[in-house]
Amino acid sequence: MIGGNISRWTMTYFAAALTWLLAALALMAAGIGHPATDVAAPDTLVLVHVICVGWLSTAMCGALFQFVPVLLAKPLFSERLALPALGLLTAGLIALLAGFMALGGRLPSAPWLLPLGAVLLVAGFGLVIVDLGLTAWLRPTGPARFVLVGLASLCTTVTFGAVFAFALAGWAGPVGDAVLARGIPLHATAGLGGWLTLTAMGVSYRLLSMFMLAPDVEDRQSRQTLAAGGLAVAAAVGGGAFAIGLGMGLNAVFSVAALLGLTCAALYGRDVAGVFRSRKRHHLELNMRMAMLSFASLAGTAVLGVALVSMGTLPLHLGAFAFLTVFGWLSGLVLAKLYKIVAFLTWLETYGPVMGRAATPRVQDLAAEQRATKWFAIYYLAVWAGTLALLAGEPSAFRIAAAAMTVGVIGIIHEIIRIRRLEDVAPPLRLPAGSVAPHLLFAKT
Amino acid sequence: MTDHLVERVREALRVVIDPELGENIVDLGFIYDIAASGGAVRIKMTATTPGCPATSFLREGAQAAASAVPGVVSADVAMIFEPAWTPDLIASSIRASLGFAAVN
Repeated sequence: MIGGNISRWTMTYFAAALTWLLAALALMAAGIGHPATDVAAPDTLVLVHVICVGWLSTAMCGALFQFVPVLLAKPLFSERLALPALGLLTAGLIALLAGFMALGGRLPSAPWLLPLGAVLLVAGFGLVIVDLGLTAWLRPTGPARFVLVGLASLCTTVTFGAVFAFALAGWAGPVGDAVLARGIPLHATAGLGGWLTLTAMGVSYRLLSMFMLAPDVEDRQSRQTLAAGGLAVAAAVGGGAFAIGLGMGLNAVFSVAALLGLTCAALYGRDVAGVFRSRKRHHLELNMRMAMLSFASLAGTAVLGVALVSMGTLPLHLGAFAFLTVFGWLSGLVLAKLYKIVAFLTWLETYGPVMGRAATPRVQDLAAEQRATKWFAIYYLAVWAGTLALLAGEPSAFRIAAAAMTVGVIGIIHEIIRIRRLEDVAPPLRLPAGSVAPHLLFAKT
Repeated sequence: MTDHLVERVREALRVVIDPELGENIVDLGFIYDIAASGGAVRIKMTATTPGCPATSFLREGAQAAASAVPGVVSADVAMIFEPAWTPDLIASSIRASLGFAAVN
């Protein structure tokens, strides 16, 4: 395949994901879920799943439908599975959240809601895994290996989640109850570490070298990084399941997993630093500068993790650790890359078909970086302030930080909508003869 | 006559830009070869990244631009990635404005 296609529903995924992100920020600013309640309380479960399934997983799936073909120079297995998958994921998440709210007494008791949500989410993620997995499986090169390990981790995460949902409904028997009682760290590690982090790393390798014109990271190097990360997840999940089966504690298993995870983060830092050093394009665009703040947050997460473990306070500050991972590293990177990807795809959709027939703007002409910078700055500063507020045990300060994050994200979304509507493109070039203005929520081509 | 046609096609290809770099594909060094035989033009070109969704638009854009040149009866554009494009191929006149190091 020489050139790839534009994924029709990637914008729809991004719009759904950003809607869920706003919902999560509203919950945090309103003081619903941790730190106002316990980490395992139903309200926190609502918040965590809005963030991890609604925001991060939906954005990641949308990006993968577009970028797995780019990673592999090979078309997607099927173009027709993306929209049904999004419908199933959205319906599944809504049922799951309703189930958690019923569990917390915010809705009338309805034990069937959680299994229903689980079944719909299994079906939705199943379609994503089949479509992307079959595409990547036939040519598992370089960064695509990260996606395959990420998808395997997603399978694990979803399986654990489904068992939990059935166990909470009282439909999973004693084995299900045992898995529910002790398996939550395994579910979280597979989801945040395996699925979201390793996939984000894999896609970032390609995006960084593509947009900075740097040589690809050597296969040998990225294999080492993936091996460390994959082993960390395997140690946590496999070793953890074994330990639970034998009735043993999880501390030893998670110590090994943490060491491997730190090694993975360090190797990834080495790889990314190498891409920056060898880049041919010295000017860094906004998305790259902001991605650097997310890499700094990942390093901060590693340092925080080591500090909390050495002080023996990780269980107390698990919320702060997870918050920095989710919003500093993962969400920061996704927001920075969304800003670029939307501009790039909008350009292709609008101006690609008239190239050679009319003068066209550059991708950069669709975005107003100077105006957008302040929204990203507000977002990152608020995330770091929120982490400190959680560490200091200051729920009110945390809510102010969440409100500031909301301001930053609304600003970023406003910029993304302006990009999609070509509002910053100078009139003579905005819509040359033969071009069609893009739809906000999907690609017409 | 043939040389003139090749040059006119080369000039026409300047309307096609790489969306990311924002410069035309001729100055970026994407055009490896233009050959003309009678009115039939064959172009060998490249792009920065195989698999990128922009690649097929670049090829189609080059074909449309070349086909519109008077005297061109047919335009055949082949997208190749061997040898791979490097920033060394960028015309020195636009290199600095793209944010590339003066020497790569």
